[in-house]
Amino acid sequence: MKKRTVIVLIALVLVMALAVSGCTPKEQPAANGQDGAKEEKIKVGFIYVGPVGDAGWTYAHDAGRRYLEEHLNVETTYIESVPEGADAERVLTQLAEEGNKIIFATSFGYMDPVINVAKKYPDVIFMHCSGYKTADNVGTYFGRIYQPRYLSGIAAGYKTKSNTIGYVAAFPIPEVIRGINAFTLGVRSVNPDAKVKVVWTNTWYDPAAEKDAAISLLEAGADVIAQHQDTPGPQQAAQEKGAFSVGYNTDMKQFAPQAYLTAPVWNWGPYYVEVVKSVMEGTWKSEQYWGGMADNIVDLAPLTELVDEEAKKAIEEKKQEIINGTFKVFRGPIKDQKGELKVKEGEEMTDAEMLQFDWFVEGVEGTI
Amino acid sequence: MFVLKVAVEMKNISKTFADVVANNDVSIKVKAGEIHVLLGENGAGKSTLMNILSGFYTPDSGEIFIHGKKVELTSPREALKCGIGMIHQHFKLVNSFTVAENIIMGNGNSALRLDMKAGIEEIKKVSQEYGLQVDPKAYIWQISVGEQQRVEILKVLYKGADILILDEPTAVLTPQEAEGLFETLRKMAKKGCAVLLITHKLDEVMEVADTITVLRKGSVVGTVNKADVDKRKLSEMMVGRETFLRTGKIDNHPGEELLTLDRVTVLNDKGIKALKGISIGIRRGEILGIAGVAGNGQKELAEVIAGLRKAEDGRILLRGENITGLSVFDRINRGISYVPEDRLGKGLVPGMNIQENLVLKKYRSAAFSRGAFLKISKIREASREMIEKFDIQVSDMYSPVKFMSGGNLQKTLLAREVSDTPDVLVTSYPVRGLDIKAMESIYDLLIEQKRRGCAILFISEDLDALFQLSDRIAVFYGGQVMGVLRPEQTDINEVGLMMMGSKKTGVA
Amino acid sequence: MKTRIVLEKVCVPKRRQLAYRILAVVLALVLGAAFLGVMGFSPMAIYRKMFGGAFGSKYGITETIVKTIPLMLAALGVSVAFRMKLWNIGAEGQLYMGCFAASWVALRFPGLPAYVMLPAMFMAGMLGGGLWALVPAVPRALFGTNETLSTLMLNYVAILWVDYLVFGPWKDPKGFNFPITPEFSEAAFLPAFGNSRVHIGLVFGVLIAAVLYIVLKYTKWGYEIRVIGESREAAEYAGMKVIKNILLVMFLSGALAGLAGMAEVSGITHRLQSGISPGYGYSAIIIAWLSRLNPWGIIVVAFLFAGLLVGGYSVQTIGLSASIATMLQGMILFFVLASEFFTEYRIKLVRREGVKNGE
Repeated sequence: MKKRTVIVLIALVLVMALAVSGCTPKEQPAANGQDGAKEEKIKVGFIYVGPVGDAGWTYAHDAGRRYLEEHLNVETTYIESVPEGADAERVLTQLAEEGNKIIFATSFGYMDPVINVAKKYPDVIFMHCSGYKTADNVGTYFGRIYQPRYLSGIAAGYKTKSNTIGYVAAFPIPEVIRGINAFTLGVRSVNPDAKVKVVWTNTWYDPAAEKDAAISLLEAGADVIAQHQDTPGPQQAAQEKGAFSVGYNTDMKQFAPQAYLTAPVWNWGPYYVEVVKSVMEGTWKSEQYWGGMADNIVDLAPLTELVDEEAKKAIEEKKQEIINGTFKVFRGPIKDQKGELKVKEGEEMTDAEMLQFDWFVEGVEGTI
Repeated sequence: MFVLKVAVEMKNISKTFADVVANNDVSIKVKAGEIHVLLGENGAGKSTLMNILSGFYTPDSGEIFIHGKKVELTSPREALKCGIGMIHQHFKLVNSFTVAENIIMGNGNSALRLDMKAGIEEIKKVSQEYGLQVDPKAYIWQISVGEQQRVEILKVLYKGADILILDEPTAVLTPQEAEGLFETLRKMAKKGCAVLLITHKLDEVMEVADTITVLRKGSVVGTVNKADVDKRKLSEMMVGRETFLRTGKIDNHPGEELLTLDRVTVLNDKGIKALKGISIGIRRGEILGIAGVAGNGQKELAEVIAGLRKAEDGRILLRGENITGLSVFDRINRGISYVPEDRLGKGLVPGMNIQENLVLKKYRSAAFSRGAFLKISKIREASREMIEKFDIQVSDMYSPVKFMSGGNLQKTLLAREVSDTPDVLVTSYPVRGLDIKAMESIYDLLIEQKRRGCAILFISEDLDALFQLSDRIAVFYGGQVMGVLRPEQTDINEVGLMMMGSKKTGVA
Repeated sequence: MKTRIVLEKVCVPKRRQLAYRILAVVLALVLGAAFLGVMGFSPMAIYRKMFGGAFGSKYGITETIVKTIPLMLAALGVSVAFRMKLWNIGAEGQLYMGCFAASWVALRFPGLPAYVMLPAMFMAGMLGGGLWALVPAVPRALFGTNETLSTLMLNYVAILWVDYLVFGPWKDPKGFNFPITPEFSEAAFLPAFGNSRVHIGLVFGVLIAAVLYIVLKYTKWGYEIRVIGESREAAEYAGMKVIKNILLVMFLSGALAGLAGMAEVSGITHRLQSGISPGYGYSAIIIAWLSRLNPWGIIVVAFLFAGLLVGGYSVQTIGLSASIATMLQGMILFFVLASEFFTEYRIKLVRREGVKNGE
């Protein structure tokens, strides 16, 4: 072997050793070969209100984050279980400090902190899920989950024998009320005698409390349980009591295979890709995004074999109508709990009205 | 005469707690069939030694032989297996259980099913054998302190102990009960048991002991036969100098009545009448002794005078003024001092230092406070003076008083209570648990106050002390005054009988 | 050879106590490192991040201080009650009632100028927490009911009361029905230092610690509190007014927790919202305990505790999940609490025969 080659080799090894030891642990070795060759990856941060393993809301967002990582050359970071109080602002600041160019804040309570931090970091894009405040570098996004909720209501309406359906709900905020109303309209479109009983848990993530709430509904005669919660607790309760269930957030079949019918689910991935792409290309603009089934940001999870053929057909039909825009969930006539006509025949509720829902439609049993 | 076998031999035992040497190279031999008294002042190391023998403490070094065999006593259970049983000063009985249950339950080796009937038979047998009268079916809370002690003794006998240790057993007994106990101990010795008795009362020693080992400051001073010594010799061994056993008293002709209780009725904590309309008076410069078995209203008497307990009926007069409805605070200001039975926890605050304790009643006065603030340096100064004047041994003015010895605690308490030159001083068992030296200084203090003209209520269980100090003795039984006697006109036997409830007509 | 474990109560010098605590933290970190290593993380990187997140930058330190403020105030409150052996576990609820009362002032009189508004909110916060603490204090003082349970239970009542308000009558009409009140007027914002979120509540905390220290050490009232705490019997014997002091001290204890709540709504969130405290009132109990109820100690321990919490979030950015971060925090806390035991006791191994051969 030539002496020269040996020296070069040794030098190379030394340089590599230096380079490796100089690496801070923050940099993932996954992309080492391309370091320097390509321009730096864009960093995207996520802040979650629950743990990524909740099988619900946060899990769905994290699935979107993983989808984003697979489909774009980006580096993502997330911080989970961040309470909506004083901590949120610090965590957002930290994400901005660490060079994240886009930060997705995935809970309503992060609204004020997002606006505050966005002021200090004008070069960072903040996307706040489910809020209503925007700024030059703050956009909001949300999905019309009420559309698949309406469809899941059809499944429940066909399934119920006792004509009593239980609904375990988190907090009496417009998002949840809207979901209950859409679900109830779906139920009563195929089963006008059915009622939807609502129990509030005042939690988003409390498996035990949510399960207990479901049990109380089952004991009150419900034979189908739906939920607006971030854990599969109600699903399990339904299975244990031999009833049926409609999930939420993600496909929850694995938690209650003998009870589970379907679930309105979030599909954040493609939207996240779209947003990040637009930022990379410089076309991003602050907006209030509210996508529906047509945009594929929300969907109905596959119907299980527990759903009757007749129901399957009705759901499929309505789904197509929603996607092509011929059917609107909140189109009149819609009456409230007292039987008063709230939306006249042929009229449709506006987005602004839907965003401020504070009444229940006819057929809901419960108080706000 | 046959030679008694050695039942217990402790060789070169040493035990140190933190920095205190409790036992230093102690060796003793106790023979089966004898009553062996361990004599010494408080803190001489008697209790430590016995706690080692009964397995509560492990010695730092030394060896123990039981009936000639070397043993390792790592726990009370282990000790019991070797036949060693200890009767503590504070009884370890379950109040809501019966006598029989207490005796049998403690028996660790009992099977799943308890044979109560056989147990009771066995207890009856043992109690007859040793003259320990007690009803096996009675509940502990129903029986007297003396009976409870018998239960404790039965408990260890029932478990087959032949080496008995008793830690100051007579402290809670009347003279008659104590006599009964000694009778039992003699019977046990006769049956071949080795009896170890801890005490610091010389009279008892002379009455009951066969052999005496005197301890001082953790070491053995000597082991003697009772026949070879007298009280004077023993007390010399105990304190390391000749003590002056006080006789007679200072008679300074008591003056007018300072404190009067007029048909006072008081309830105890359970709502039962503890004082039933008693009337007594104390005069200036007089010590009124209160004799009685503990629990016959003495505590309530002290508390009703101090204002800590409400009088249900009757009046309390101080210098003729009705103070029945006044608060504790007002009574302190009017010159009533109180040395409670509970030194640590009531009379003194355990976790606070001596300075803070010395101003417990005076921190509000102009001498020690200005506005909301305390005068810290004034308090320190005054404390120094009091510590010196009352000869209190303090290693650190800032360490909590709970680390002080009993004698120093009592001196601290008394120093505070008398420093205000009170008109009335109530003292409950002021020398309980103190050694001779400390006792003497406390008595000196009381006599000094008497000389000054203070009216002193002196509650005590020590009849010798009552006879020596008191101008008059009021005997309490069941919340009533059985009689008020002049010590020179009565004797211990008469008082002892009255403590058991016999009434004396004609009041001194 | 058989041995036996013996516990002995000992008096450990102060310097040694400190050494034990430091040793405990080190042990926890070493054990945590082993645990992290097994999980496939680099312990050094995580510790560096944890420390750096809380204390490593100016921003980190200011944020740690932001978190210190409510912890410190609530812990000071808890410590006053604990001094008297009143086991006030209700700081969380008292904090919420402080939030409530201060928010009431801010929302009811939005037009007040800051120099009226802030003192009014200050008073209201203290009054809210203080009166709430009096609810269990009265039966405790008069009938001796167990305050541990009653204060604890009242936490839930207070939290749900605030929930009721933000979901119901106090809901921001422009808030799309979300559980928040309208933002306060700017006069109701506690002034902050420079660009940071550190607000003047820090000054309250330090001042109150100083005042408490002086009160406890140099005043008649402080003396009474200490005597009653050490021995109620001795206090009664000395003619102190025990009942009055129980009520006063519980009021003060609640008032300080209430002040923590006021500082949080006025200094940080600028509105009342549900879940405003992530358990500050409970952490305060641990802090008060660890600092041995010493006011200065509370400032230090609260700061370190806040750092532990802040650092816990930081490490998530390098891939540690929240639950592992919480476990790590728990581990450190556990060791420190356990070390407290060794400041009072010593464990001795004794050979079975109970005799030490002279070595």
